Amino acid sequence: MIQFEQVSKIYPGGQKALMDVNFHLRKGEMAFLTGHSGAGKSTLLKLITVIERATAGRVSINGHNIANVGPKHVPYLRRNIGMIFQNHHLLMDKSVFDNIALPLVIEGFSHGEIRKRVAGALDMVGLYGKERHLPIMLSGGEQQRVGIARAIVNKPPLLLADEPTGNLDPKLSMDILRLFETFNDSGTSVLIATHDLGLIARMKYRTFTLRQGRMLGGESSSRETMR
Amino acid sequence: MSKKPNITQSKLPLSGRIVMFFIRHVQQGMSSMGELWRSPVSSIMTMAVLGVSLSLPAALQVLVKNAENVTQSWNSAAEISLFINKGRSEQSIQSLLSRIKAFREVDTVSYISRDQALEEFQRLSGFGEALSYLDDNPLPAVVTVTPSIKYSSPTGARELLAKLEREPEVNFGRLDIEWLERLQALLKLLEKTVLAIAVLLVLAVVLVIGNTIRLAIMNRRTEIEVMKLVGATEAFIQRPFLYTGIWYGVIGGILAWLIINALVWYLDGALAELMGLYGSQLTIQSLTLTELVKLVLLASFLGWLGSYLSVRQHLRNIEPS
Repeated sequence: MIQFEQVSKIYPGGQKALMDVNFHLRKGEMAFLTGHSGAGKSTLLKLITVIERATAGRVSINGHNIANVGPKHVPYLRRNIGMIFQNHHLLMDKSVFDNIALPLVIEGFSHGEIRKRVAGALDMVGLYGKERHLPIMLSGGEQQRVGIARAIVNKPPLLLADEPTGNLDPKLSMDILRLFETFNDSGTSVLIATHDLGLIARMKYRTFTLRQGRMLGGESSSRETMR
Repeated sequence: MSKKPNITQSKLPLSGRIVMFFIRHVQQGMSSMGELWRSPVSSIMTMAVLGVSLSLPAALQVLVKNAENVTQSWNSAAEISLFINKGRSEQSIQSLLSRIKAFREVDTVSYISRDQALEEFQRLSGFGEALSYLDDNPLPAVVTVTPSIKYSSPTGARELLAKLEREPEVNFGRLDIEWLERLQALLKLLEKTVLAIAVLLVLAVVLVIGNTIRLAIMNRRTEIEVMKLVGATEAFIQRPFLYTGIWYGVIGGILAWLIINALVWYLDGALAELMGLYGSQLTIQSLTLTELVKLVLLASFLGWLGSYLSVRQHLRNIEPS
């Protein structure tokens, strides 16, 4: 699904965020990406979503080299990637429904279809019946779920999460991870960046570890793949 | 995987996308109208600025139009005086008159014989007594020609004068159009001034809308970032702003029209009074319906242009980070 081949990213100013990174996330796989703050996790996710572009090396998604994706096509690429953020990036003046519907509106779905899909997504994250609420009326965990619902509402083949449990207590974090597992069960590839090692330890997924911009131990640094 | 799904294409079928394209346009157009109502005070202020800015060029347009209307009736006042060679018989003069009358450039012809001229001169000049000492009548016969409407413009009248001067009986002719030329030059100057001012004010409208849209973009920075993150195209993001600009223009244009009508209504009374003193009747013509439509179309174009320039400059700078 995602392949990095000797990818380096040097920010203007000389900060080396990623050095010679190789890794491969298989189609339908769920994996973790760990490392300390500043190890390059966020940069790696930004390269996948073309928020940043690699200085060297090759990043491909589904076999497409994304260096060839022009600015005009970046939006279409992003529609295939569900993104979840630690601070969830919700629109605070819009209802939960409008927030989740945004990707569908952008893609041009009909009103009926949007209603149906948003209801489905809300159901999946356990927020059914809260579509008229404003995000501010929800708890931190619930806001995170709204963000997740928005990421999965147009059924992207790939889900990226940047510290999705960063602000949540262990119980809520576990719930969120279970949620990701259900998406993964239905065929979605999932990559979760987190520094919550305790959380990862309890789960049996591949883990990619970054340290100061380098990927440790190559591809299969952690427990065995696939359940 | 036989064929790689293209990751940079929309997932919907083409027909569905085309239909949704129009539906979205209507939705976004309406919602940006709603957006304006949500912050009524600042919206109304902006629209008022636009209305006033647009009403000035429109008022000047009304002024030029009415000035042209008035001077149209003065144009035909051009008159050509032809002085006939001395010693021509009354008969040859009569044949000249009938020839001139047949010109299609000529509206009316009147003839003042030498005797009539002398009589008139004696009456008006005050030299009455002195003239009677002269042996001979020094005055030539005069034919006064009024050009037809088509030839009443300075250039047309001049052409006609040249043609008339070629007649053998005519010694020379005079055309008193200097004042007319001056008036027309003045009108031309007025028109150019109006155009220059109009261009400046139109520019002001574009800048006001551009700045308003810039503020709107800054206000919605996070929203734009999020939209870009979830895959919105530039076209999708900029559309509400463009519609906002167009709405500003439309409402500003209508406001300008209302201002003009109020102005005309206000001035009409004063003008009627003035014209009453001159024993003449003249009313100001306001903007017609076609001119209203043109004004609103122009204003909405300016609104679009202002917001387009702003959107182009500022939207691109907002990228998720």
